[in-house]
Amino acid sequence: MFRFDRRLLLNFDWVFLLSVIFISVMGLTNLYSSTHAFHHSGMSLFFKQLYYFLAGFGIVLAIISVDYRVLLNWNYPVYIGSVFLLLFALLFGKSIANTQRWINLGFFSLQPSEPAKLALVITLASYYYRKDTGKGFSLKELMVPMLLTGLPFLLILKQPDLGTALMLLFVFVSMTLFVKLKWQTLAILATSCLSAVPVGWKFFLKPYQRQRIETFLNPEGDPLNTGYHIMQSKIAVGSGMKFGKGFMHGTQGQLDFLPERHTDFAFSVWAEEWGFVGSLVLLGAYFFMILWGLNIAISSRDKFGVLLAFGIVSLIFWQAFINLAMVTGLLPVVGMPLPLFSYGGSSLMTTMTGIGILMNIRMRRYMTSS
Amino acid sequence: MSRYLARINKIDEAELNTLKRRIDIATAVAIFFIAILIVRLWYLQIHRGDDYAQLSESNRIRAQALNAPRGNIIDRQGRIIVTNRPCFNIVWVREDAPNPDAVLKSLARILHEDISVLLERIRTYADHPRYMPFRLQEDIDWKTLVYIENHRLDLPGIHIEVLPSRDYLYGDMASHIIGYLGEINQDELDRLDEDDDSPYEPGDQLGKMGVEKLFEEYLRGEKGRKYLEVDVHGLEQKQLKIQKPLPGDDLQLTIDIDLQQAAEKAMEGKAGAVVAMEVNTGRLLALVSSPPLHLQEFIGGISAKDWQAMLDNPLHPLINKAVQGQYPPGSTYKIVTALAGLAEGVITPETVFYCTGSLSFGNRTYGCWRKTGHGAVDLHRALRESCDVYFYQVGQRLGVDTLARYARSLGLGSITGVELEHEKPGLIPTTTWKLRKYKEPWQEGETLSVAIGQGFDLTTPLQVCRMTAATVNGGVVYQPRLIESIKDPDGNLIKQFPPEEVGKVLGTKKELQLIRDGLVAVVNEPHGTASIARMKDVVVGGKTGTAQVVHLSQFKDAKGDDIPYKYRDHAWFTSFAPAEAPEIAVTVLVEHGGHGGSAAAPIAKDVLERYFALKKERAAGAAGATSATGATSAAASTTAAPVAAAPDAASDAGPDAAPDAGSDAAPDAAPTAAAASKPQP
Repeated sequence: MFRFDRRLLLNFDWVFLLSVIFISVMGLTNLYSSTHAFHHSGMSLFFKQLYYFLAGFGIVLAIISVDYRVLLNWNYPVYIGSVFLLLFALLFGKSIANTQRWINLGFFSLQPSEPAKLALVITLASYYYRKDTGKGFSLKELMVPMLLTGLPFLLILKQPDLGTALMLLFVFVSMTLFVKLKWQTLAILATSCLSAVPVGWKFFLKPYQRQRIETFLNPEGDPLNTGYHIMQSKIAVGSGMKFGKGFMHGTQGQLDFLPERHTDFAFSVWAEEWGFVGSLVLLGAYFFMILWGLNIAISSRDKFGVLLAFGIVSLIFWQAFINLAMVTGLLPVVGMPLPLFSYGGSSLMTTMTGIGILMNIRMRRYMTSS
Repeated sequence: MSRYLARINKIDEAELNTLKRRIDIATAVAIFFIAILIVRLWYLQIHRGDDYAQLSESNRIRAQALNAPRGNIIDRQGRIIVTNRPCFNIVWVREDAPNPDAVLKSLARILHEDISVLLERIRTYADHPRYMPFRLQEDIDWKTLVYIENHRLDLPGIHIEVLPSRDYLYGDMASHIIGYLGEINQDELDRLDEDDDSPYEPGDQLGKMGVEKLFEEYLRGEKGRKYLEVDVHGLEQKQLKIQKPLPGDDLQLTIDIDLQQAAEKAMEGKAGAVVAMEVNTGRLLALVSSPPLHLQEFIGGISAKDWQAMLDNPLHPLINKAVQGQYPPGSTYKIVTALAGLAEGVITPETVFYCTGSLSFGNRTYGCWRKTGHGAVDLHRALRESCDVYFYQVGQRLGVDTLARYARSLGLGSITGVELEHEKPGLIPTTTWKLRKYKEPWQEGETLSVAIGQGFDLTTPLQVCRMTAATVNGGVVYQPRLIESIKDPDGNLIKQFPPEEVGKVLGTKKELQLIRDGLVAVVNEPHGTASIARMKDVVVGGKTGTAQVVHLSQFKDAKGDDIPYKYRDHAWFTSFAPAEAPEIAVTVLVEHGGHGGSAAAPIAKDVLERYFALKKERAAGAAGATSATGATSAAASTTAAPVAAAPDAASDAGPDAAPDAGSDAAPDAAPTAAAASKPQP
């Protein structure tokens, strides 16, 4: 398994890597613009993120050197490890703005909800691969994946981090729909999900989360608090117009009107400074990456690879879509970074790990078990 | 390969096709959602881009008002009385202070105040939000400011606020004329908002009294605007554009600082008023109401305590007694009675009445101030010795309505229209007035009281001063003037206030001359009631007056200090000089001062002496300046003044060099000379 095969190098997916690098460079450029005015002691956020990227490419290299199929055996240790980290963060984590999301590793603050997303993808891919009979899953057979999703979901909801928790549901639904379901199962799931919405609203959502959604439905009703984010972000995006205000010349971002402008609202800064044209370029890059990712999925010779690749692509896609929809005012504000683009080590490392796995699958598309 | 991977199976053809279909569906889903995002971006950036661009502009640009420096108030010589300075206040923001006790303790030490004083101030703001700043100390001195600025980091929560403030270079001098500024209140805002482009915003200062109020629109100037790029906290990032404020116009008073100061000094410790007027123009050289206002206390808003103290002060500092104080004119009114008597032919200068010390009329006895009587009295002597019986006789022959006509022609009984607020008209009674007011017919006996300035008669010191001026200037009633001119900050004349005749005295020049002679005798002849006002070089004329406050028999025989202050008589002296060609009229009223001759006349004399001393000094200065510049005429010296080697001497000489040449030339020559000779910025 550790023997290096020369064919691997030939099958190295340069195109996918280049699309990743393309988005990363835009992200770093944007990060420089949005943070150059910060007066931080120590390393600037730009260089921190640059180092995360370099480390991320290191992770990609490390991952592609090991056949992805080992994950099929390691999926439960990975899963248990991620749940343990979530528990640890809840019990001993560092509290930032009243949320227990972080584990302080000294040199790095880890956000365990980020790797948890990937761990769930690996676990679900393994489970579905093993149990798939081709006849479609029944409700009873779905109990295990539901429980596997539910545990980290509840732990992350407790932090509280609604965005990431919902992302687990998106991934679960995407992957479950991708494998075959019995029609009755689909019908039952759909009805129970719809009926769960009011219950969840009442019992699971924290007041601030409810307020965010209410604010989203009526942003002008609360222009100074939660609605403020949406309003300012829309102003930033809209005022970019056709060609943008120019690099480092976006007033909304530069003058601090835009909250979280280097993390969740990084795209607002981009749209403000590069306009509709720049936004299309970035959107096109993501679109290309997603399509290429789906192509990687279908080019795999084994179903585990297909499921795993599809799960990772859906994870990246939903994160990107929800983030972009949120900053353009189409969805309520939930904590959701734009993969490869927003500042943040945990999110970037997770994404790069996922990309490493995708490239791993791609490289080994012609390999078969001997 | 490793055994771990052995279990993985290849996908068969049928399953691959199924998966391909599903990937296609996923691709379609991705395209669908990305299309939504593109449409959304198009909507925000292209369709509504202009709207959002505008919103982002207004987001980042703040316009900050720049206060215009208020115009200066200067005296007739061009000397600045009131200008501007920054006022530094200590402001407390509770939210910024993590450890307020320690900060307040060190602040108390810096301010040399007990900490309890500061805590008391904070307590009054206890229910304010923590982030709201409020003033802890107003108008701190320079040393304290520097200390606090240098220790800024040790004093979290302490901020310094800078406000433009008035700088009163002569302290409380002319305080009632100048008035004070205060923060605009809601009523004023509402009222001013009715006109479309009211320049006022909440927190602005505006004139609340005196010429500061009446000439607000000239003094205030025009606010500037600073356009700033700000961040979300409103912190200044970059200055985009600045529109400079336009300073207010300077207001030149007719007041002469030297004379005003002399008059105020003479009134020190007394309640009352002094008015000094140019006889031939109506310009006011001094206008004093004592005690003065403490203008300093009004800076940054007067405290309730100080305000109450002023209201409670028995000497009523808030009232401008020169125009708002209404007093019975007392014997100064005998000028009116004498003039009416002569003009109506009731008396001639030779007419003699016999004074036994009292006069019986009806069932009452009207006493003369001199209980032993004056004996045979003619007009000259009656004025000189202020014989009451003589004027009872004259008044009784004239009747109250005739007297009133003459009083009104001398400017009594109505407001003069001087540039001060809330002026009082006084009261000149007539038979119809009494019928209307009291529904009772006029009693003949009351005419006797009125004839000597008691009873219903009420006058203001300004009215009495103008009456005196009109009596000795040949019968012209001038509009009293307090404002000489308004000039823009560059010194260009905007508005001028030339002398204005508003009436003619009933009576001929000859009749007025007879009265003037009598008034000169009051000061200069033996038995005159005001010989105390006699001067060495200049012949002064005048009339004393003593206005009774109450008619209480219990004080009838009491003297001076035995009578409680508030029941003592008011003392009048109204005067003019020089007797042969009068230039200046000075009227003094001392509230509860007692006799006019002893209490008021010395004050008038002080003012007159100062006036003539200044005139002499300035003439000498002008002569010096003239020879220094080699100019041959006075006119040349005044125009040359701004560039002259001795501008002070020249400018001082300006206005007064003109009256020297001839009193008739004065009105025209003085303002131009003053305008030309103002070298101050």
